[in-house]
Amino acid sequence: MNIVVCVKQIPDPAEPGSLDPGTKTLKRATKLILDESDSYGVEMALQLADAAGGGEVTLVSMAPNNEVSGLRTALAMGAAKAILISDPALAGSDALGTAKVLAAAIKRVEGADLILTATESSDGYTGTVPEQLAELLDLPSVTFAKHIEVSDGVVKVQRQTEAGYDDVECPLPAVVSVTAGVVEPRYPSFKGIMAAKSKPVDQLTIADLGIDPSQVGWAGAGQEIVSVEQAPARESGEIFEDDGTGAEKIVAFLENLKVI
Amino acid sequence: MFDWTDEQKMLRDAVRQFIEKEIVPIHDELEHGDRPPYDVLRKLFSTFGMDVMAREAFKKRIEFEKAVEEAKARGEEPPSKEDRDGTGGMDPSFTMIPIIELCRYSPGMVTAMGVSMGLTAAAIQSRGTIAQKERWVPELLTMEKIGAWAITEPNSGSDAFGSMRSTARRDGDEYILNGSKTFITNGPYADTIVFICKLDEGNPPEERKILSFVLDRGMPGLEQSKPLRKMGLHSSPTGELFLTDVRVGRDRLIGETEDVPAGGRESAKDTFAMERSGVAAMALGIIERCLELCVDYAKNRVQFGQPIGEFQLIQEKLARMEVHRLNVQNLVFRYIEQTKAGKGLTLAEASAMKLYSARAATEVALEAVQLFGGNGYMAEFKVEQLARDAKVLQIYAGTDEIQITHIAKDLLRR
Repeated sequence: MNIVVCVKQIPDPAEPGSLDPGTKTLKRATKLILDESDSYGVEMALQLADAAGGGEVTLVSMAPNNEVSGLRTALAMGAAKAILISDPALAGSDALGTAKVLAAAIKRVEGADLILTATESSDGYTGTVPEQLAELLDLPSVTFAKHIEVSDGVVKVQRQTEAGYDDVECPLPAVVSVTAGVVEPRYPSFKGIMAAKSKPVDQLTIADLGIDPSQVGWAGAGQEIVSVEQAPARESGEIFEDDGTGAEKIVAFLENLKVI
Repeated sequence: MFDWTDEQKMLRDAVRQFIEKEIVPIHDELEHGDRPPYDVLRKLFSTFGMDVMAREAFKKRIEFEKAVEEAKARGEEPPSKEDRDGTGGMDPSFTMIPIIELCRYSPGMVTAMGVSMGLTAAAIQSRGTIAQKERWVPELLTMEKIGAWAITEPNSGSDAFGSMRSTARRDGDEYILNGSKTFITNGPYADTIVFICKLDEGNPPEERKILSFVLDRGMPGLEQSKPLRKMGLHSSPTGELFLTDVRVGRDRLIGETEDVPAGGRESAKDTFAMERSGVAAMALGIIERCLELCVDYAKNRVQFGQPIGEFQLIQEKLARMEVHRLNVQNLVFRYIEQTKAGKGLTLAEASAMKLYSARAATEVALEAVQLFGGNGYMAEFKVEQLARDAKVLQIYAGTDEIQITHIAKDLLRR
């Protein structure tokens, strides 16, 4: 079974990030790493390919400056190859612009049975790309998967809900978004790390994909970031002096929150 | 080489993540309890596929050695090492990086691992027969079995061979082994033990041949002590071995010959050089961690109304630590470059590298304790453990004094 995983390379959350005052977007000129939320999709894909007894996992990513560091991490985990779309014209792309580019790249992967994504990225958080991708590829879409099984051309998904999960089935190929934390991403083996640098990364521009520059980047973005505000500081909590009624006050506090 | 490559950083980050997830939560049990380190080391090996790689490399090596023996038997020119490895050397960073990372928390674990898969396996690998290698080496390399290398005795340390009292006596086709060994890393738990002794033929001790035998846990007459209490390195169990009339066949005599083949000295030198460069990597891990903890402490510990990092006497300590870090890192980088180029270190170079790195690690770790003040003396702040652990680097794998004589003799021989 051949699986495509969309992965995003983001600035390292451990480093202090900064915003470009002109564009009001995150500065991305630094070294980028694999978004942790995508590592679950990569792990899920590797497990599904194993369970199917073979097949390839292909990564698709869009990033500035031909950045491949994050892709190498996923290749070291076991993905077979990657497609990277990098083009100055893509700066400022909104979610739909990104989905257009990823969809065009995915169409180049022959025999893709399943397309996995995260539910949302850790730096942008729009959470809309998976559904836009499915629409552009004209494929069924299942979101928030906590468990995936594939058999006889059908994907069976446990779809996480607030109350538990729904059992959902749909025919392949399909786009499925994977909830963070549902599998434990493997460590890259030493052999995997050594092999990663020689795995193929197909580096493309939007011209290679036949995309009109006016459809993507700032030019194609249907949104504008008007202003960026500091998040309000967290308010200090309530402090009770325990005068012997501490337990009752805790119960009353929790009842008020409707958690008990 | 002046920095780690992206690939090496990926390896470092992955190992660091593993350590933070698997070792940090049990760190107190490893360093202040008696929890042996072997299960978590095995998990490290299997997680990163080091066990599979070790088996594959061993298989390749044995196939090569068999091809050499067969060619010799047919009277043909044997294949050269270049046929096996190519002309370049291996990349030692895949060994050095896990050592550095483990030493940020538990240098003892590196000792336990190094003695088992390094020294013990190397002793059999370098001089054993092919059958002996196949019997004992693979499981040592994968850490499925734990190895110990027993040379030191209560009265023989740096003068290992001169004062050695352990003996082997011939008895028909077999040997009877007697003696006691001490300071044996992994001694209490070892499955496979390389026992080094002298062949007693009734001749004076200084004329006796040195022989090595492979022993298995549980053999009649072999007693393995409980772990000894020691200053540091608590995650590396150390013990004594007592042999009373242990009867072994010739199949356990390394090389199955009493005549140590030519080149034995060379292979011992290679082992020493490998061991000593490993100590430099250990020192780097200790220094890096101490420096990180100290910089953080200097910024956040407030005395006399300001962070202590504002005081010049604290700054001097930090600056000296950084100089040591840079120097030791450069030595490690040099070792990696030289090995990759297929040019190993000379024994004197390895000794110089070990001497400097071990002293630097001890100085940095003790100064870290000083910088932390009363907190530094408390186990909770971690630097006291690293200081106790660092000290051993000046003692084992050849004391500072032995390294100095190796370096000086090499200079005077030129």
